Amino acid sequence: MVGARRPLIEVRRLHRYFGPTKAVYDMSFEVYAGEVFGYIGPNGAGKTTSMRILSTLDEPTYGDAFVDGFSVVDDPDRVRRRLGFMPDYFGTYQNMNVAEYLDFFARAYGLRSYQRRAAIDYAMEFTLLETLADKPINGLSKGMKQRLSLGRTMIHDPAVLILDEPAAGLDPRARIELREMIGRLADHNKTVLVSSHILTELAEMCHRVGIIEQGRLLAVGTVQEISSRTHTRSEVRLRVLSDPAVLINYLQARSDVSSVALRAGQVMLTHDGGPEEQATLLRELIEAGFPVVEFGSKTKSLEDVFMHVTEGRVQ
Amino acid sequence: MTTVPPTTITETGAERAEAAPTRWADAWQWLERRLVALTERANPILVKETRQALKSRQFLVTFIIVLIGCWVVSFVGVAVVGPQIYYAASGPGLLIFYYAILALPLALIVPYTAFRSLAAEQEEQTYDLLSITTLGSRQIVTGKLLSATVQMLVYLCAVSPCIAFTFLLRGVDALTTAMMLAMAVLGSLMLCMMALLIGAVARAKHTQIVTSVALVLGLFGAFVGAISLGTAILTGGSVVFREPEFWVIAFGLMMVYVTTFGLLRAAAAAQIAFVSENRSTPLRRWMMAQQACFAGWVGGVLYAFSVYESLGGGPLSDVIIAGGAMASFYWYAMGAMLTGEWPHLSRRVQRSLPQSTLARALLSLMNPGPGSGYLFAVANLTTLVLAGLAALWLLDAAAGTWTPIETAACFLVLAWSYVVGFLGFGRLLINLIRRWAYVPMAAAFLLHVILLLTAIGVPTVVQMMSREYRNAGYTLLQLTNPVWTLAELWDRGMAAVEGEILILATPALAVIALLLNMRSVSTELLHHRIPVPIRVAEDEAALHPAPEARPTSPWELDDDANGTV
Ligand SMILES: Nc1ncnc2c1ncn2[C@@H]1O[C@H](COP(=O)(O)OP(=O)(O)OP(=O)(O)O)[C@@H](O)[C@H]1O
Ligand SMILES: [Mg+2]
Repeated sequence: MVGARRPLIEVRRLHRYFGPTKAVYDMSFEVYAGEVFGYIGPNGAGKTTSMRILSTLDEPTYGDAFVDGFSVVDDPDRVRRRLGFMPDYFGTYQNMNVAEYLDFFARAYGLRSYQRRAAIDYAMEFTLLETLADKPINGLSKGMKQRLSLGRTMIHDPAVLILDEPAAGLDPRARIELREMIGRLADHNKTVLVSSHILTELAEMCHRVGIIEQGRLLAVGTVQEISSRTHTRSEVRLRVLSDPAVLINYLQARSDVSSVALRAGQVMLTHDGGPEEQATLLRELIEAGFPVVEFGSKTKSLEDVFMHVTEGRVQ
Repeated sequence: MTTVPPTTITETGAERAEAAPTRWADAWQWLERRLVALTERANPILVKETRQALKSRQFLVTFIIVLIGCWVVSFVGVAVVGPQIYYAASGPGLLIFYYAILALPLALIVPYTAFRSLAAEQEEQTYDLLSITTLGSRQIVTGKLLSATVQMLVYLCAVSPCIAFTFLLRGVDALTTAMMLAMAVLGSLMLCMMALLIGAVARAKHTQIVTSVALVLGLFGAFVGAISLGTAILTGGSVVFREPEFWVIAFGLMMVYVTTFGLLRAAAAAQIAFVSENRSTPLRRWMMAQQACFAGWVGGVLYAFSVYESLGGGPLSDVIIAGGAMASFYWYAMGAMLTGEWPHLSRRVQRSLPQSTLARALLSLMNPGPGSGYLFAVANLTTLVLAGLAALWLLDAAAGTWTPIETAACFLVLAWSYVVGFLGFGRLLINLIRRWAYVPMAAAFLLHVILLLTAIGVPTVVQMMSREYRNAGYTLLQLTNPVWTLAELWDRGMAAVEGEILILATPALAVIALLLNMRSVSTELLHHRIPVPIRVAEDEAALHPAPEARPTSPWELDDDANGTV
C-alpha cells in the first residue's frame, strides 16, 4: 500500500432508504490513494446503492461521502471530474463503434483534440481493444463490453475508479486479465473500489476488503485480518477408540465447545479459540484418558469467512 | 536506389497544371482544419448524434421518402399543369405540396426523434453514464436540440431545390416562401423543445407508452396545423405582410416564442439536473423575462389605442381586463408549480444565497423553495395588478367615464385575490399533507387543480340542486368560483355580482391566506448563506487562478522596482 495517508474516498455515516428498505445503513469507511478496496456482499447487500451514491447518481438519505475531499452531494461536478464509475450494466448506443463510443465520452469529459486522441489510444491499449476499434458496439461480446466499459471509465484519467462487479460473466482468462488491469491501475496510484459477491475473486487483488450485508458494513480490513478475527471458531473433528458417548458428554460439559455431534463414528464439534486453544483441548483430552486417534481442525476457507461474517439474511 | 536529379521545369503549362491543384489542396486543407476545429468546440452530443444519424436506417429512410416525395410531386405537378406551365402561376399549388412534404419530418419525425433519443438514454441506462460526465444538464438539452436542428436543416436542404423550382413557375414571392420556411423551422424547434421536456419529465417506464402515444397524436396535430397555416400564409400572406401591424404582431409573437423557449429549456434542464443543484432560479428568471415582455406589450397596446384612436375608456379597460385575466392565469399556473417545490435547500444552494442586506431583500424571492415561490408569484402578480390600476387611474383622469373603469379595477383586485387565495390555501394543504407523505411537484400541482375545481364545482352543483336558486343566475354562493364571478363581473359590471360584498370578502380571504403562509415563508427567506468548504475554494482557485496583479499605474511600477531592488 502506498504511504500517502489521504483518504481519496471517505464515507461518513451513509444511509440510503428506499421506503422501508434500508439499502445502506450507517456505513463509514475510508479508502486511500493507490489502494484497491474490495466490496463484498451477497445479493441485495447495498453494494450498488452505495457505489451509485459515491458516483453522484443517487443521493443519500442521511450522511455524506467524499471523493478527494469533495462532497458527493454538494459538489457532484467536482467529484465527477475525479471519478470514473463502471456500473454493472453496459450502456449501449445504436449505430456506434468502439472508437466513436470512447470518443464521445472523451468529449463529454471535456477532452479536446490531441489530448482526447491520446486518451482514447491509451484506454484502448490498456484494455486491449485496439483491434476492435471499428467494431459496432452492439456486436461486442460480454467480455469485450466489459473491457470497453472499463476503457470508458478511465478515459478522463480519474484518480478514483469505482467498479461494480467488473468480473461478472467473464471467463477465467478474462478474469485474470481484469485482475492484472486493476493491479496496473493501483500501480499508477489510482484508488479503486471494486465490488463482488465472491471473496476469493477479490482476495488476490485487494489491499483491503469490506464485507457488507443488509446495508451494514460488517467488517473492514485485510483479508488476513478478517479471517483471523473469524478464525476464533473452528470446526474440529475427533475420533477416539473408546465409546464416543462418553467423549460427547465430556465435551458438552466444556464451555469452549458447542454443537457437538456424532457423524459416521466421528465427533464433530465447533470450538471457540485459535490453534493454541485447540492444542490445549487436545492435551486436556489425552490427560482425561481419551484414546484420541484423530484430531483434525478445518482451517476456514475465505468462503467460510464470508459465510461466517454474513448471515444470509435477506430484506 | 537512384536519386532524382533536381530538374528545372521550363514549360509554363506544366507549372500551372501543378500549381493549381496545390492551391486548391491548400484551401481544402484550410477548410478541413477549420471544420475540425469547429467539431472540437461543438457540443459532444451533437457530434455523437450526427454520427449516429448518418448511420441510422430511420434517418436514411425518411430522407429518401422526402426526396421521392419531392420528385413525385414535381413530375405529377408538371404533368397536371401541362403546357400551361409556361405562363400560368402554378407555383403556389406545387409549393403547398412541397411544404407538406417538408412538414412531415419537421413537425412529426424530428421532434419525435428528439423525444426518443432522450427516452432511449433512459432505457439503455446511458443517461447515468452521461450524467456523471462533466457535461451539464443544460449542455445535454442543448446538444439534443442542436442535433435535432441539424437533422431539420438536412431535410430543408433536400426540399430547397424544389422550392427554388416553384419560383420559376411564378405565383409565389420570396417573402411568403421565406416566412413559411421560417415558421416551419421555428415551429419545429419549439416542438422539439416540448418533446425534450416531455421526455425529461416522463422518465418512468410505465408512463412512457402513454406519453409516446400522446406525443405522437399531438405532433400529428401540429403537422396538420402546420399545413393549414402554410396554406393560409400562401393564400393571404402577400397581402398581410404589407401591413405594418403584421410585423408588430410578429415581433410580439417572437418575444413570446423566445421567452417560452427559454423557459422550457430551463425547465428541461432542471428536470435532469442533480438534486442538490439550484433548479428553480433560472426558471424564475425566465418567468420574469416573460412577464416583463407581457407588461411591455400590454402597455404598448394601451398606448397605441389611446394615441391612434379616440375610443374612450371602454375598450381600453377591456384590454386591461384581458391582460389581467391572462396574467392571473399565468401566475396561478406558475405558482401552482412553484409552491410544489421541495422545501429543503441543499447546502450547495445555501452556499450561493444572496448575502448583502440589499441583495437579500431583492433576490430572496428567487431562492428555490415553495414559500419563496409562492411569494414570487404573488409579488409578480401584485406588480402587474398595481401597474394595471395605475393605468386605469391615468385613463380615468383622461376619459372621465367611470363605470367601465370601476369594473376593470374591481376585476383586477378580484383576480389578484383569487390567485393569492387559491395558491395560499393550496400551499397550506400541501404543507399539511407533507407532514405524512412525500408530495412531488406534479402531485402538488394536481392538488392545486383539485382545490380549484372543488371551489368551482361545489357551489355550482349546490346551486343546481337548490330549487330556489336554480334559475337565479349568479348568486353570492359563487364567491369561491373565480370563473363565473369574473366572467359575470366583466359582462355585467359590479352591480350584477353584488360588488360591495365581493370586493370586501375575497381580498380579505386572500390576505388571510397570505398571512397564514407567512410563518413558513419567512423561515424559508431567513436562510443564510453558508461558507464554501476550504477544499472547494482551493479547487476553484486552482481551476480559475486569479489573474496576476498587474501594475495599473506607473507609480505602482516604481514601487515594485523599489521593492525588488
Ligand atoms: N431504486 C430502488 N428502489 C427500491 N429499492 C431499491 C432500489 N435500488 C435498490 N433497492 C434495494 O436496496 C437493496 C440493495 O440493493 P443493491 O442493488 O444495492 O444491492 P447489491 O449489493 O448491489 O446486490 P447485487 O449483488 O444483487 O447487485 C435491495 O434490497 C434492493 O431491493
Ligand atoms: Mg449490485
